[in-house]
Parts: sequence; structure tokens; C-alpha cells
Amino acid sequence: MVALARRVGQDGTVQTAYENGTGPARPAWRATPRPPLVRQRQGKVIAGVAAGLAEHLGVPVVAVRVVLVLTSIPFGAGLVVYVFLWATMREVGDVDPAVASIPTLSPAPGAPLADPATAGGGTTPTTGSTVRTQHHVDLAAMRTWLRSGNQAVVITLLGVAALAVAGALWLGGAGLDVHAELILPVVAIVIGAIFFWSQLDDTDAIGARRPVRWIWLVVGLGLTILGLVGLLVRGTKLTELWQVAGAVLAALVGVAVLSAPWILRLWSNLRLEQAARIRATERADIAAHLHDSVLKTLALIQRQSGDAATVARLARAQERQLRSYLYDEDARAGTLGAALTAAMGEVEDLHGVPVQLVVTGDRPMDEHLDALVKAVREATWNAVRHASPPVSAYVEVGPDAVEAFVRDHGAGFDLDTVPDDRAGVRESIIGRMERHGGSARIRRRADGTEVELRLPVRQPHEPEAAATTPAPPGAPAAPAAPGTTPSTTTGSTPDPETQEQAS
Amino acid sequence: MTDPRTIRIVIVDDHHMFRTGVRAELTTLAATPRAGAFTLEIAGEAGAVESAVKVITEQRPDVVLLDVHLPGGDGHGGADVIRACAGVQSGADVPVRFLALSVSDAAEDVIAVIRAGARGYVTKTISAEELLTAIGRVADGDAVFSPRLAGFVLDAFGATAGEVAEIDEELDRLSAREREVMRLIARGYQYKEVAKELFISVKTVETHVSSVLRKLQLSSRHELTAWAMGRRLL
Repeated sequence: MVALARRVGQDGTVQTAYENGTGPARPAWRATPRPPLVRQRQGKVIAGVAAGLAEHLGVPVVAVRVVLVLTSIPFGAGLVVYVFLWATMREVGDVDPAVASIPTLSPAPGAPLADPATAGGGTTPTTGSTVRTQHHVDLAAMRTWLRSGNQAVVITLLGVAALAVAGALWLGGAGLDVHAELILPVVAIVIGAIFFWSQLDDTDAIGARRPVRWIWLVVGLGLTILGLVGLLVRGTKLTELWQVAGAVLAALVGVAVLSAPWILRLWSNLRLEQAARIRATERADIAAHLHDSVLKTLALIQRQSGDAATVARLARAQERQLRSYLYDEDARAGTLGAALTAAMGEVEDLHGVPVQLVVTGDRPMDEHLDALVKAVREATWNAVRHASPPVSAYVEVGPDAVEAFVRDHGAGFDLDTVPDDRAGVRESIIGRMERHGGSARIRRRADGTEVELRLPVRQPHEPEAAATTPAPPGAPAAPAAPGTTPSTTTGSTPDPETQEQAS
Repeated sequence: MTDPRTIRIVIVDDHHMFRTGVRAELTTLAATPRAGAFTLEIAGEAGAVESAVKVITEQRPDVVLLDVHLPGGDGHGGADVIRACAGVQSGADVPVRFLALSVSDAAEDVIAVIRAGARGYVTKTISAEELLTAIGRVADGDAVFSPRLAGFVLDAFGATAGEVAEIDEELDRLSAREREVMRLIARGYQYKEVAKELFISVKTVETHVSSVLRKLQLSSRHELTAWAMGRRLL
């Protein structure tokens, strides 16, 4: 007990750093407010009553459980208290599993606080049984089995068995007849009801519902039926067993049929309420976003209404931001499409000229694609500075190459006439593409210029080059990595309109 | 040129300001003499699905400029208008043609109206001249693709991944030529530039685009039906 208490203290001080109010058990002498009395979702065995009580009182949960079981022996007082608290205590609100895991339940210092099994299954990672079996050979297997959700059964069965034995002894000691045929069915009914209720109880929480474990519902129902049959068949002949079982089953089915519409209506009401709540939350989110972004931009636009260029830029930037919010473009962060969108956005912001970007296909970024994005950005930059709109960029991610086209409608330029000190085109576009195994060419058209970029790539599912992982033995030699490919694809189509700029 | 034809249009958009803007731009532009010009008559306006259906049935215009997002109907906006107006014929006894016009670039919006029967899709940032050209094209029964729609088509038909139809009639894939045309449109080329680039006539380009539009409307490719299913259009 001393060791337990000290551990509680240690964990408690850690916990206070990130939890307010519902923190873990604290030593009672500390002048801090008690956590509210709520049922815990994390680290519970049946309904979280003991865990919540322990937290509220600042005592180890094991102690609470022991007391509850012990006080159940005389007249089942502990059981009555438990059921009463279960019915009256609220369940704790939505809690982050990392925060809500109860440190008093950690099997040993250093054990993971938020065990996945605890978060999902709602069973505690420790009890006396795990502590006792800690040094067994099959400890790991035992633990996985316990954490798989069967722990609730074990503990409940142990508790009830102890209860039954104690009750029988007490009754016997008091000189009363022990009616095993009466006690056992009642115990079975109680266990079955507990299983059943604990599952239904889980589904009550709005929003954060966990899937019902049907196996427990079935087990609970089976135990209850067995108990009822046992209770009714008492004293009658064994041949009547089936008749009684049939009657019990018929009664249960009748109750189910009668109450089904009512339960269904309750259920659909619950679903409606959930949907309404989700909608309200979404609306609040959108309102907050609009307030933060759109309204502020509109205010800026009103203040700068004389400056047409600024207004256009602000409007375009806001449009882009709103689009990425609406179409959830954050989801593709780290891909070529996202990088291109960001690069085009930058160019637009700096010059206020809209750039139409179309990307087909997508793939994760790497250093070669990064070079491509920079080259596309440079080409677009040239287009918005020197040419006239509309400026459009089209990037196609193909199976063996990424091709990019940047097109404008300006007078165009002749690379030969560009002075050597202007590194823009020659270095930033052509040179950069060639260094990464790609090619670039610039075409002058009747009404504008088009920059074409091509970068050979490997299929995403092909094994990565030896640069990152050693090639598996026996694997066919990967086609030359983009970085090492000699630029064989460098523009070679003879085209009267095309100026070869690759050399 | 001596007797330019008249194209009657109806503008459907839930923003009054936008309708006024388009009306002013188009009227000004259509009044100035241009090559291959046609006279434009704005026959009506509407701001919601029900009023749009009413105006279109009464006026029987040649072309409807249709916003993708509209209040009313079954909640599918422009697609509802197109379905409700199925069978309505213009004054020239050809079906009323729809040109979708939207600020939204979201693929599901575009695909919804195209599969409902729109002949084309352009974004609202389009210049007035281009819009006028697009109206003329749609009135002739041709298709109008924005670069972004062309990009989406390439994606949805797996053309960028190298899937090409063996025979042109195959509905679920683009032919090699259609793929080329779509690529050039995605690159921002006008039809006549596409024609010059591929050494074909503008009419042939229009044929290819119309064929792609037909595939887009009829194909049962998963990528396309998924959008439609998501909006309960099937």
C-alpha cells in the first residue's frame, strides 16, 4: 500500500501538468480541489464507477474495488452502492486518451500510460492478477489475452465467485440453509445483466461511441436466460426443463417485440440529435474561419479600395486560401500538386497576375521534383513579369516522366538575345532541369512563349534507388535514377517553330 | 455577315450582382463588330432552380448560362435545372444547350453538371470574349472545356497513366488523338491553336472535344461514377 501511494504521488505530479480538474488521485492532505465525481471511461472494468470514485477520493482504485467487493458480502451492500452510483454518476466527457489514462493503474513505472487496448477496450491494464503473473513465463501472452477485453470477464467472475462463496459461508455460519439452487441462478442473472448493461452503457455517450461488442451482449443474454431458467426450474423435474426454457425465451422475445418500436424511436432521436450537434459544430468552425480570413481581407480591401492592384492581389490570395480550406488541400501536403499550388500562389502574390494551374496525377515530392517545381516557378515568374496574361501552367504526372508546360501570351523572347548575365532562363530553368536529368525547351509561338519541362521519373511502386535502401538481392537493376540519367531526352524533335535551347 | 444570326440566352445565377455584370459585359461586347459575330439577346434571368426552369420553358433560349450552385430543387443546383428542362427545345427546334459557369473548380461539381447534360464548363474568371466564343460554340452543339476540366478528364480516364483506347468508340478510355487534344486544352490552348499544333482543322478539334464530352457523360468508369454516386445522381 505504501508503494502504491507513493507511485500515485509521483504520477499525480506529472499529471497536473496537463490536466485541469479531473486530474488523478492526489494525496488528501494537499490543499487542492477534488476532481469531480464522474465515471471514468479509461481504465474501467465494468462501468468506471470504482475508477471514478478512486479518482474523486484520491485513493488507489484497487482499494476501492477491494472495499466494494468486501462490503458486498453482508447483504450485497457494496453491490447496491455500486449500482446506485452507476445509475447516478455522470460519465466523464470527451477525454483525450493520453490525458485520461489513469496513472494509478499503471502496472509499473515506465509502462505506457495510454495503452491502445485500454483506449479501445475499456479495461484496465493492471489488476492484482497481472501483478501476480508478472514473473510467469507466458507473461506476454497472458497480458495480450487480458488486454483483449477478457479481463472484464475474469475480474467479474472472480469477484462474483468470491461473493458467492462468502455469502454461502456467511449464510451457513448464521445457521441458515444454503440454497445453492437459488443463489447460483441469481448470481448468473446478475453477471449477465452486468455484461448487458455495460455494453449498452457504452453506446450511450453521444458523439464518442464505441462499437458494441456483440459477444458480450450475447454472453450477458445467455447468462441471464440460464439464470432465469435455473430459477424457474428449481424443484421441478428435469424433463420440464425445455418447457421452462421455451417459456422464458418466449417471454423475453415478447418483451423485445413490445419494446422494439420505443427503443428504435429513442435510437433515431439520438441519431438526429448527434447529426444536429455535428452540424452545429461544423457551422461554428466555418464561421470562425470566415471571420478570421474573409472578413479581415474584406476590411483590408475596403481600406485600400483606391489601389486596384492591391485589391486584386488581396482578393486572389483570399480566394486561394478559401479554396484550399473548402477543398481540403491540406490533405495532399507533401505532394507535387501541393508544392506547385504553393509556388504558383507565391508568384501570384508577388505580381498580382493570376496563373491558371492544372495538375493531372500526383506523386510525393523528392529532390528532383523540387527542382522541377523551382523551374516551373521561374518560368511562371518570367511569364508574369515580361509577358501578358493569361498565364497557364499545366503539369502532367505520367508513368515515366513528369511534364510541365508554362504558357503566356507575351511577345516572347529569343534566348540568344538575352544577355549572358541574365541567369534566369539559362541557369534557373534549363541548367536546373539538366542537372536533375531532365530537359527544357522554350518555344516561341505566334502569340506567346511556352516553356516545356520534362523530368523522367520512376513508378512510385518501384523499389527506391540504392540511395535510400539497399537493393534486394536478385532484384533487376533499377532503371537509372533520375539524378544519374544522362539527358538523352533533351529536346530532339525537329520542329520549324522550335528553338532548341538544350545545349 | 450581312444577316448575323441571333443567339438567345438565359442567365441563371443566384447572385444578382454576377448576373448584372455578365449581362453588361456581354451586351457591350456583342454590340461591337467582330469576325464571325452573332447578335446576342438576353431573354431572361433566374436565381433559383424553380424560377430557372420556368424561365427556360417559357423563353426557349438557345443557350443557358448555368451556375453550378443554385438554391432550390433537390439540392443539386444546376444539375437539377438541366434534368428538369430535358426535352425543352429552343426556337430553332434543337434542344436547349447548357453552359455551366462556376467559381468552383471542384471536380464533383463539374462532373455533376456535365453528366446531367451540360455541353461545357467554364470558370467565372473567364474573359468576356472567351465567354462569348464559348456561347457561340455551345449554341452550335459543340463542347466547351476549360483547361481544368480537360485536366480532370485526363485524370479520370487514366490518360496520364498511359491508358489509351484501342478503338475510338470505347467509352471508358480516350483515344490517342482525344488525349492529345485534351492535353493541349489543359495547357491553355484555344481550339484554333490546338488545330494548328496538331495540323488538323478546328472542326476536327471540335469533333474530338464533343466525343470526349460524350464519353464523359456516358462512361461508366469508376472515377466518374463515384462522383455521381456521391451526389446521388444515379
